[in-house]
Amino acid sequence: MCLFWHVIFADVAGVKMTTIPRKTRLYIWFRLLLLQASWNFERFQGVGFFYALLPGLRKLYRKEKLLEVSKRYTGYFNTHVYLAPMVAGAVLKLEEERAAGTSEPQVEIADFKEMVAAPYAAIGDALFWGGLRPLVAGIALFFAVKGIFWAPVIFVVAYNLVPAWFRTVFFVHGYRRGMRSVEFIQQHKLPDWAIHTKEAAVVVLGGLSAFMVFSHLTQQQLPSWLGMLTLIPMVMLGLVARKGVSTVLLIFITVGSIFLLGVFWVDMTKLITLLGMEL
Amino acid sequence: MISGLTIGALIALMCGLDRVAILQVMVSRPIVAAPLTAFLLGEPLVGLQIGVMVELLWLARLPVGAAVPPDDTQVAIGSSALAIILAQRLDTSGIELILLCLLVAVLLGKVGQYFDHFARQHNVRLAKQVDDALERGSLLRAELQHLRGLGSFSLAAIVTYATIMTGGLLLVPLLLPLVQQPLSYSSSWVQLALPLVGIAVILGTINVSRAITLFCASFGMSFLLMWLV
Repeated sequence: MCLFWHVIFADVAGVKMTTIPRKTRLYIWFRLLLLQASWNFERFQGVGFFYALLPGLRKLYRKEKLLEVSKRYTGYFNTHVYLAPMVAGAVLKLEEERAAGTSEPQVEIADFKEMVAAPYAAIGDALFWGGLRPLVAGIALFFAVKGIFWAPVIFVVAYNLVPAWFRTVFFVHGYRRGMRSVEFIQQHKLPDWAIHTKEAAVVVLGGLSAFMVFSHLTQQQLPSWLGMLTLIPMVMLGLVARKGVSTVLLIFITVGSIFLLGVFWVDMTKLITLLGMEL
Repeated sequence: MISGLTIGALIALMCGLDRVAILQVMVSRPIVAAPLTAFLLGEPLVGLQIGVMVELLWLARLPVGAAVPPDDTQVAIGSSALAIILAQRLDTSGIELILLCLLVAVLLGKVGQYFDHFARQHNVRLAKQVDDALERGSLLRAELQHLRGLGSFSLAAIVTYATIMTGGLLLVPLLLPLVQQPLSYSSSWVQLALPLVGIAVILGTINVSRAITLFCASFGMSFLLMWLV
């Protein structure tokens, strides 16, 4: 009797009496790969988030109610692209609960979305862009410097293992846990991982620099100890970059200096040879 | 030459979309995009050399919030395509040509940031059209507006690539005879310096306490090990 009443009531209110099927969730996951297709300065990923969730919302609502709910999702939204599936999963769960009328969320879904987006963005930026990417790039460059043609494949495969895991597992946990998905992030201590990954990246880049310098000096048949002097200009450039000097400017200053030194060195060698011959 | 330019354009489009709009599986990174371009143009080693030099240069510039980092993807693709096409046209080769193509692409690639900016600005209109479509009750039209954003990013990628290629094809043949000989004295050092500049910039901007200490310790230990072994 209660179910009958709920079905009738739900239909009148524009609510479908259903949950989101697994197939639809998979479809949403694939749509999340297009999250930033219409990225813009006003709403960032907002339209993309609406686009991704729409198949799920279609299963939960119909007619006017579907349009009304859809409008709530086209506004501002910005988080890290690899952690967006977790937000999407949690939001789908909350919408499902609200549509079914099983429980009223403690916080408005829109508020929840806004509350988690910024911290997730900060965590994701530090972990993926600031830590993982330089770390894997450093490892792949070891292979590239050695002339191994598989270096790009190593980079793509090694890098994507982590984001693929985050995109899939976090989406599933977001959907399973709803608002409690925040605890899942806390359990994994991602900010700590971001720091460890960055530290590892610095160590790898130090090793890579030493490897490149040592190989070059050996090729040029110059004394190896000279390589230790590389640290001085590198630390200086790093400190200049910290002041906000453009990378393009640093590139052209460095290349220009080496170019002029090269020309000067050749001229000096010629001059010394000439003087030596005359003497 | 036409086939080379077309292959480059297709990779520029694919990688340009991966950069922001779809997937983000990092095929847009220079270490992947440059060797891929060069492999399809028949000179994989050129791409690998360019990939090593460009990969770390702007890695420290994070795509955080509304920040638009420099378009290193198109710089890598453009310089690889330029180096290979011009080597055939000018009947020359060597690291000097590659370096010159790369430096010209680095300068011209700066415009990529502006095109990317325009694409994102243009997409604001699409967001408003999504609102209109929902007001009219058309969910399908709202979905299509989102997908139209791919067009903006595709156009930005292609225009950046075209700018690098056009400028490069005009400038490099003029500059090469002037700088080829003097550049040959220092080319191997420049090739070494570019990734080191990138690493220095990362070192300066990475948010890690004692980054310089860690870096110097790692550098020193690795160097000593290589020296001793």
